[in-house]
Amino acid sequence: MSTVAGRLPAALARLARLPEERVLGGVCAGLARAARVDATLVRLVFALLSFAGGAGLVVYAAAWTGLPEQGRPQPPRSRRVAAALLLGVGVVVALRSVGVASSVLWPAAIVGAGVVLALQQRGDASRSQNTVRAVAAAALVVGGSLLFLETATSSPSGSSLVAPAALVVVLFLVVGPWIWRLVRERDTERMERIRAQERADMAARVHDSVLQTLALVQRSAADPRRVAALARRQERELRGWLYGSATGDEAGGEMLGRALDDALADVEELHGVRVELVQTGDLPLDDRLRALVLAAREAVANAAVHAGVHDVAVFADVGDTEVSVYVRDRGAGFEREAVPQDRRGISESIEARLARHGGRATIRSTPGQGTEVELRLPLEAS
Amino acid sequence: MKPRRRLVLVEDHRLFRAGVRSELDPGIEVVGEAATVAEAIPLIRELDPDVVLLDVHLPDGTGQAVIAAVAPERPGVKFLALSVSDAAEDVIAVIRAGARGYVTKTISGPELSEAVHRVAEGDAVFSPRLAGFVLDAFRGGEMPGDPELDLLTAREREVLQLIARGYLYKEIAAQLHLSVKTIESHVSAVLRKLQLSSRHELTRWAVERRLI
Repeated sequence: MSTVAGRLPAALARLARLPEERVLGGVCAGLARAARVDATLVRLVFALLSFAGGAGLVVYAAAWTGLPEQGRPQPPRSRRVAAALLLGVGVVVALRSVGVASSVLWPAAIVGAGVVLALQQRGDASRSQNTVRAVAAAALVVGGSLLFLETATSSPSGSSLVAPAALVVVLFLVVGPWIWRLVRERDTERMERIRAQERADMAARVHDSVLQTLALVQRSAADPRRVAALARRQERELRGWLYGSATGDEAGGEMLGRALDDALADVEELHGVRVELVQTGDLPLDDRLRALVLAAREAVANAAVHAGVHDVAVFADVGDTEVSVYVRDRGAGFEREAVPQDRRGISESIEARLARHGGRATIRSTPGQGTEVELRLPLEAS
Repeated sequence: MKPRRRLVLVEDHRLFRAGVRSELDPGIEVVGEAATVAEAIPLIRELDPDVVLLDVHLPDGTGQAVIAAVAPERPGVKFLALSVSDAAEDVIAVIRAGARGYVTKTISGPELSEAVHRVAEGDAVFSPRLAGFVLDAFRGGEMPGDPELDLLTAREREVLQLIARGYLYKEIAAQLHLSVKTIESHVSAVLRKLQLSSRHELTRWAVERRLI
């Protein structure tokens, strides 16, 4: 319940008119956007309400007066108060038109005004202002209730039930705002606790990773390759934590993207190259995709060892029917025929491994210009 | 011979600014530097440079804020977004605000210079990572609102995939048997779609990204 109470004011604060989609004042379009329904529906409701003694028109006028245009500041206080009064009149008109007796309506309206006044109590107003408000609100609530009791008891029917019911309602209305405030304070407190905890987590994380890395960087200052590798690993780790870390853990299983990232980070550290991974889409990891990751890892390691470059680009594309991974370097390149027979990296670790799972590897290499290994693995229809 | 380009550097790390300045080729003159949104806006208005190299995150706001404030009155100024390693939605947002391209801070000096020249000439600059983001954002085609803006053509997709694979424009041109100019116009078309599309998917995708 507290969450609803907490969300409602925020939703109200977002209400705005949308002049660019308006028919009249943009009120219906604004309400429709806030409620996530079609604007035509809202317009229809207003049109129907207008038959209820003109209530629709009055409420519309109220909204036009009180709501800001999208992206503009709130209208001045006087306009908002006027809008609230209009809204009250609209509600009363509507209720009367459906047969609610005036003897109930007017006292209810007075009590309602008192409640609104009580809800307006704010932390930033001075104490005396709040006291004046509270007294006025209580007077309105009590006065309205008395008026109601009088008219109700003077009428012949149902008087024995109405009086206690009215008292309960009055009590609720008077105590309600106070309870609401308590609930809100508790929410704020909880939010602050969560924030403090997040800060502590962040500090721990920064200490364990970033500060440690910086210390290592200082000690390895004489070895630029090592420094670069340390910085790369740290960057990967931080990025994974900031933007992607949850993709694997929360879905309940490891994802392809994470596995690729880890495998490539290994190669980076092992061989001192920079591997840039670009990926679109993702999938939960299974045995076939694991084979693909291993093949990609081998291709990157080959580039790192044989191409004589510092950068390798990897693009992993998860399509609807297949997953493709491209490993590209701008290094030495090679001719397949010139690779000694006993070097099994390409044929065993890449081609055969992929073929066992129904995939295919294509290697394009031009001596002097670089190599691209293309790995394709069809997705099994599930 | 390329004309000399006047560049404003908006980036809050002084060391990084110094590094960029020393790495850019002589055809690019750094006429001004700013470290915050508040400094950048009046500076760009005053200097009216060819290109602004703009960090996505600044201490007092985002790169978008700078573009939004300056672009309407200085339509000739081109923005090239630059960042260390950002969430996809931040990058897409700065492109949608009007940046002509996006490069990561690990880019080499010559590549960065090339990107500045290309943006100055009105072309778009896509890093492999941005190409990946865009492919992701335009993925899936259910119920497009405006097919002109909300879908990539097969050719555009192909070009973006090659960029994501690390191909240079001239290599893409050779691969697809097209001219470099044609590749450039495909990339510009993608940029335009990215900026103008009201595609539901784009927002939904960004929201999903933030949630995961």
